[in-house]
Amino acid sequence: MLTVTRLEKSFATEDGPLRVIDGVSFTVPDGQCYALLGPSGCGKTTTLRCVAGLEEPDAGRIEIAGTVVYDSAARIAVPTNQRPIGIVFQSYAIWPHFDVFENVAYPLRVARPRIARGEIEDRVMAVLDLVGMRDLAKRPAPRLSGGQQQRVALARAIVRRPKLLLLDEPLSNLDARLRDYMRKELADLIERIGITALFVTHDQAEALSLAQRVAVMNEGHLIQEGAPREVYSAPATAFVAEFIGGSNIVEGRVASRNDARAQVALQGGGPVFEIDMEATPGETVNVLFRPEGIRLSTTPVEGGNVLSGTISASIFTGSVIDYTVALAGGLRLRVIAPSDQQFERGTAVWLTVRDVRGLKREHPPSGT
Amino acid sequence: MPLPQCATPTTTDWSSRIIPTLGAIAAVYLIAVPLAMLIYAAFRGPADFLPFEAGAQWTVDNVRAVFTDPIMYGEIIPDTLTFVAGTVCLTTVMALAMAWLIERTDLPYRGVWFALIIFPTLVPIVVQAIAWILLLSPNAGWINRLIRVATGWSGKGPVDVFSMAGLIFCQSLSVAPFVFLQFSATLRAMNPAFEDASRGSGASTWTTLRRITLPVLLPGLLAPIILITLITFEQFELPLIIGLPGGINVFAYRIYNELNPASGLPNYGRAAAISLPFLAMGLLALLAYNHAIRNAEKFVTVTGKAYAQRRIPLGAWRWPAYGFLGFYVGFAAILPALILLWTSLFGFSVPGSVPLDQASLASYRQLFADPLLWRAVRNSFTVAILSALIVTLLGALIAWIVTRSTFSGRWLLDALSFMSLGIPAVITGLAVMVLYLSVPIGIYGTVWILVIAYSYRLAVSTRLSRATIMQVHKELEEASEAAGARWLTTQVRILLPLIMPGLVSAFLLLFIIGMREFTLPFVLYSQENVVMSVLIWQFFQGGEPARSAALATLMIAIVLPLVVFARRYLVSRGAGE
Ligand SMILES: Nc1ncnc2c1ncn2[C@@H]1O[C@H](COP(=O)(O)OP(=O)(O)OP(=O)(O)O)[C@@H](O)[C@H]1O
Ligand SMILES: [Mg+2]
Repeated sequence: MLTVTRLEKSFATEDGPLRVIDGVSFTVPDGQCYALLGPSGCGKTTTLRCVAGLEEPDAGRIEIAGTVVYDSAARIAVPTNQRPIGIVFQSYAIWPHFDVFENVAYPLRVARPRIARGEIEDRVMAVLDLVGMRDLAKRPAPRLSGGQQQRVALARAIVRRPKLLLLDEPLSNLDARLRDYMRKELADLIERIGITALFVTHDQAEALSLAQRVAVMNEGHLIQEGAPREVYSAPATAFVAEFIGGSNIVEGRVASRNDARAQVALQGGGPVFEIDMEATPGETVNVLFRPEGIRLSTTPVEGGNVLSGTISASIFTGSVIDYTVALAGGLRLRVIAPSDQQFERGTAVWLTVRDVRGLKREHPPSGT
Repeated sequence: MPLPQCATPTTTDWSSRIIPTLGAIAAVYLIAVPLAMLIYAAFRGPADFLPFEAGAQWTVDNVRAVFTDPIMYGEIIPDTLTFVAGTVCLTTVMALAMAWLIERTDLPYRGVWFALIIFPTLVPIVVQAIAWILLLSPNAGWINRLIRVATGWSGKGPVDVFSMAGLIFCQSLSVAPFVFLQFSATLRAMNPAFEDASRGSGASTWTTLRRITLPVLLPGLLAPIILITLITFEQFELPLIIGLPGGINVFAYRIYNELNPASGLPNYGRAAAISLPFLAMGLLALLAYNHAIRNAEKFVTVTGKAYAQRRIPLGAWRWPAYGFLGFYVGFAAILPALILLWTSLFGFSVPGSVPLDQASLASYRQLFADPLLWRAVRNSFTVAILSALIVTLLGALIAWIVTRSTFSGRWLLDALSFMSLGIPAVITGLAVMVLYLSVPIGIYGTVWILVIAYSYRLAVSTRLSRATIMQVHKELEEASEAAGARWLTTQVRILLPLIMPGLVSAFLLLFIIGMREFTLPFVLYSQENVVMSVLIWQFFQGGEPARSAALATLMIAIVLPLVVFARRYLVSRGAGE
């Protein structure tokens, strides 16, 4: 189990201190895989490095497997080499002057009390077997491919049976095809060895598919935490909605409400949407449409929750087509359609919205 | 896994604190302590008293004597500045032309030219100086005799090496290869896309050279040019051997003269007082140098990456190119080597005046029978190897502290080690002399004082190691820490092997510098700590040119194979990639 409590960290920069982590708390239960997800520069890596002890926080408390490794109040800071962790670095950091076997054996060789040679050999080979690198044990490190380096890095991180596995963007150095493959391998492996893992990524697909719980970070704050499905389907803020799944966010006004439903009119006119949410009439709210929750058709559609517009741009990506649709009121929506639904630019289309959510406006919608 | 239930920050490895601290102390001891002593000595008197000697007291007499001396303004300062300025101009032109020919044109046999150009970097300057005297002295110099026979010129000359022009010429020949190496690296690192873009915009080769190439390269060329200034400024051998007979009086020689006056006792205070303004000038030039390399680093051209350069076809211009390179290589490498070999076999006789079968190995035989030779060989190796080892390790440690640690005084340490580049060797020699004459630990006059004195050149290793360490991705070390290794284990098993090639080249470079060194062992000379370069000069001055030339030949014969053997560590990395 990993418990991080009210972690804070600033870096000294030329224009004064830069607050990178601002009161982050979370818990990773035993045997679970936990993902920190967020845009570049939000402080994910720094959080991970604080857990590893590679960076000393300014305040807070970190507990790994029942041992306090950092506590600012009690002035405890256990150095990295005495924490029961294994790390997979973003660069993999495979030592170029060792071969595969020596890279993986290193954590056991430096362990005190000493571990017998025979045992080291057995344990290294067992782990190499696990990651499918047994046959390449004698290969020099500089002659490994990206995927092989990743496996070696993983083997090295788990060989001394740490209580916590830390992974920093473990797949970002691989090309797209290999990334999909290694993601499955990694998920499979983490589950098989049943290790507690914390990993960091800015790729939402990676986080959602690998982790049992995800936490979305922005600007040093932890914004929302939960099971992948929960965070995906019920984003707490516009930022989360946009970051996970790239939602369309449109301003709307609550016209009236009955029971738990609010009738919301979009800013540019058009139909009124019925949305499950707490809101008072007259209030301005954010309305969320998922790009993949909209169906396009070229024939007029009857019924509620239907908008009309024209196709203004499209990007063909293979399995799906990413359309931008200009609505009558001047709004633009992103729509993801199956690749057999091909429309020319300028085609008039009707949009059936199947997935619509409302969000209170704590923060104004960011960007797009 | 056994884990301490809790630990406080103070339980981190003691080794991670103690070792860098010891390194820092050693660096301060090697550089700052002698300098402090020097400044102290400048204000202590009277005359031949050592600063701590009983009877010595505070005084400004030394400083006043030095600065009211008309010779200072009439000779020393003008001579020093003329010497430096002339050398900077001549060397820049020569080295830049050579670098451009080798790196940017289709000149044939570039590899051979390259080897010939850098060969003199291995040869001690005393040896070069002696060879140039044999070639160019107004009376007996071979070249002069040749010209006289060919033109019927009567009397002395026509060329006189013992003049300011001769001194500048010799100094330029001797520093050019060092600067050539740096210019070459700069040229190699230039992105050819800049020039291609200019050509693509319709500019001619010449316009491109003038409007694009030179302005883009300028920051990268400035640093080597300032380096010539630094090297020339502290030059001692050539002013002593070639300048002095021509009545040229630069400050380095003047300091030596105060310590070894023709009559009377050494005047430490006066020598120290003369050092002060020149020390300041050296450090000023160093600041400029620092500024220049910062600038060059900021500039996109100097990326440390070598590009495949498109070469300009020389056509018929290759004949003047051969002529120029032949002239340089002839005077800097080939003629000196030939004349030394000849002199070691025939003494002062010139070719044509003796039958070739009169060649005599007598001077070699005498040399090998001389116990002094073996002492000098042993001393040279001991001092060069030990000081290279100390400086390599200490420099790497300082580089580590500066790049990897969070020690609060690390910029100071960086500045201190960098400063060693701007301290003239004569001044170091003087400072070390005054220090160990005052501190009675019995190393004055032994080889150990040389080991310590040589070891002040920390900047060589710090700069090389720093570049190497910065190439090692920090996560490689962090991965070791995360694997459970202690600080020392990480340094020894991960970082050290990864920076080893850099350390080996720093060591070799320092070893060569140590073998060539003349100023320090000459200033700190005793019967016991004589080294080869000093012995060569003593033989020559004592009227034994054959023996001197034999020893010079021997020395080159020792160093050359070592360097050829280890050249892959010495050739700049850019060339290989
Ligand atoms: N050593 C440092 N000194 C100063 N600022 C730093 C340092 N390390 C990180 N930062 C800053 O802290 C912020 C957070 O960095 P961090 O590496 O944690 O981001 P991240 O979320 O991992 O981003 P990415 O997805 O790009 O890796 C960034 O703005 C970064 O510039
Ligand atoms: Mg990161």
